[in-house]
Amino acid sequence: MNARLKQIIARISFYIGVVMFALFCGFPMLWMVLTSIKPDRDILTATPVFWSWNVHLDHYRNLFDQTDFLIYFVNSITVATAATSLTIVIATLAAYGITRFRFTGREYIAGGMLFTYMFAPILIVVPFYILMKNYGLINTKLGLVLAYTTFSLPFSMWLLRSFFQSIPLDLEEAAMTDGASRPQAVIRVIVPLAFPGVIAVSIFTFIVAWNDYLFARVLVSDNLMKTLPIGMNDLYNATITDWGMMMAGGVVVTVPALVFFIMIQRYLISGWGAGAIKG
Amino acid sequence: MATTVSTDVSNVPIKQEAPLPTRGRRIPEHYWGYLLLAPAVAMVLALILYPVIYSGWLSFHFKHAYLPLETFVGWDNYRDLWSDTAWPFSSADGFWRSLYLGAIYGFGSTILQIILGLSAALMLNESFFGKAFMRGVALFPYMVPTVVVAILMKWILNDAYGILPYLMDSSGIGRVLWFGRDWVMVTVILISTWTFFPFVVIGTLARLQTIDPELYSAAKVDGAGALRRFWHITLPQLANVLFVVVLLRTMFMFTKFDVIWLVTGSGGIGFYTKTLPIHTYMKTFGELQVGAGAALSMMMFLMLVVFALIYFKLYKRDEHI
Repeated sequence: MNARLKQIIARISFYIGVVMFALFCGFPMLWMVLTSIKPDRDILTATPVFWSWNVHLDHYRNLFDQTDFLIYFVNSITVATAATSLTIVIATLAAYGITRFRFTGREYIAGGMLFTYMFAPILIVVPFYILMKNYGLINTKLGLVLAYTTFSLPFSMWLLRSFFQSIPLDLEEAAMTDGASRPQAVIRVIVPLAFPGVIAVSIFTFIVAWNDYLFARVLVSDNLMKTLPIGMNDLYNATITDWGMMMAGGVVVTVPALVFFIMIQRYLISGWGAGAIKG
Repeated sequence: MATTVSTDVSNVPIKQEAPLPTRGRRIPEHYWGYLLLAPAVAMVLALILYPVIYSGWLSFHFKHAYLPLETFVGWDNYRDLWSDTAWPFSSADGFWRSLYLGAIYGFGSTILQIILGLSAALMLNESFFGKAFMRGVALFPYMVPTVVVAILMKWILNDAYGILPYLMDSSGIGRVLWFGRDWVMVTVILISTWTFFPFVVIGTLARLQTIDPELYSAAKVDGAGALRRFWHITLPQLANVLFVVVLLRTMFMFTKFDVIWLVTGSGGIGFYTKTLPIHTYMKTFGELQVGAGAALSMMMFLMLVVFALIYFKLYKRDEHI
């Protein structure tokens, strides 16, 4: 009886821990959503109003009507999508090349990938800025796409490389013996098998591009070229903070990342190992 | 191109010398390797390694960010780093002060991330109702863009209207000036922990799942409690992965810019969180001294090389490159 009671207590405290952990992770976002749909008089109160029955979407309307938020949003989507696509193509080619062909310097390239993987944006942003300035790529989307693609490449190649390594050569050989050309074999056999890796790479690159503040801050000054992170921060700093509108903006910025994440979540844990912790 | 690759499939010897195939084709095989890698290598060389080397070159020059001023100054920029070494690093401009603050931030947030991330991973490794859902929830904070995290936390911790100060007040804990000079570093560390601990969960959970359950049942039979099982089974099994995670997290936290910058900014309380990355940014884009900024990035680069050497040594031992 005593042992059983002990077990029940242990179980209950475990679930209390689970709930507290869920609150810890989820409450800030819940609070963001709740604030964004409250009228101002329920936002600016000394005693926070948890739920207001006056649900309204004025903050969202203001965000799109009174600010250039929509432009920032479109810029971010464009840049992130372009960078993600470019990274997938280049990293897949490279990972295939490095796992399937033998050539001098292969080991050095692999080691170099692992090394550049550890770089942080702050290390290269200064010379990168001067470089982009010299090539006239300041205030262009191309400059940002190049920045994010290059920055994601080492990690992406590294990740895909380990996926390609785990795919037996026999599968490719079999497809090729059946009359498929090598590119066909790669697209029909190898890429589907490495799909979790491709997914992990795409989510990583998308988030790098969607999230980045530093490169965008340094490379972009034209208001119409701003991406969401700098656009939103400038909005925050511009006037007396309109918390409702900022929270609405936060929801709009977070949702695409979250949707993207939920869509591909089932590939995630399998795609990410101990090395996949860049950020 | 496709036809070139697919010729002579019939001649392929069936038995392969693992791990790489050597097959007859018109374009010698190693060219294909180079060709496929060319775009990636070109981009990394041109846009990562070249900038780093250029940065090294800049660090020996006096260069203005916008004006066409560029003079060779030798080691002057590095000598200047040593100019403000007096404890407690009173000058706002000091390299040593930024290093000291960076150490507090880097180690503080890494330790908290490890504790929180490992606890979460251990929890998510148990079986319980709603486990799949909770795994998603645990990765939530990572999905929120940094700029949103910064603004959201400023709202939650807001002195006048924030919900956390209110809850702390009404539950009798009392008030803390989250964005005052005494607490702002703690605030930034806590916010960073919230944002980045999912990386530790991802890194460790995968390894936890591969621990043989037999080990635990054997220990249970021997009467080992939960704490002893953690200490004698989980931790040793996890040690290698954990070490890599700690190393990489420390590295990335030491070079973290955006969270700190977005929460505290350059002026005012930003002074109390002026870590090395912030200092570098301010030097370059605030004071417009690109040369001095480059010298600071080179110091960060040196740190990175040290971390990388340790990492490589580990990697070579445990996994094969």
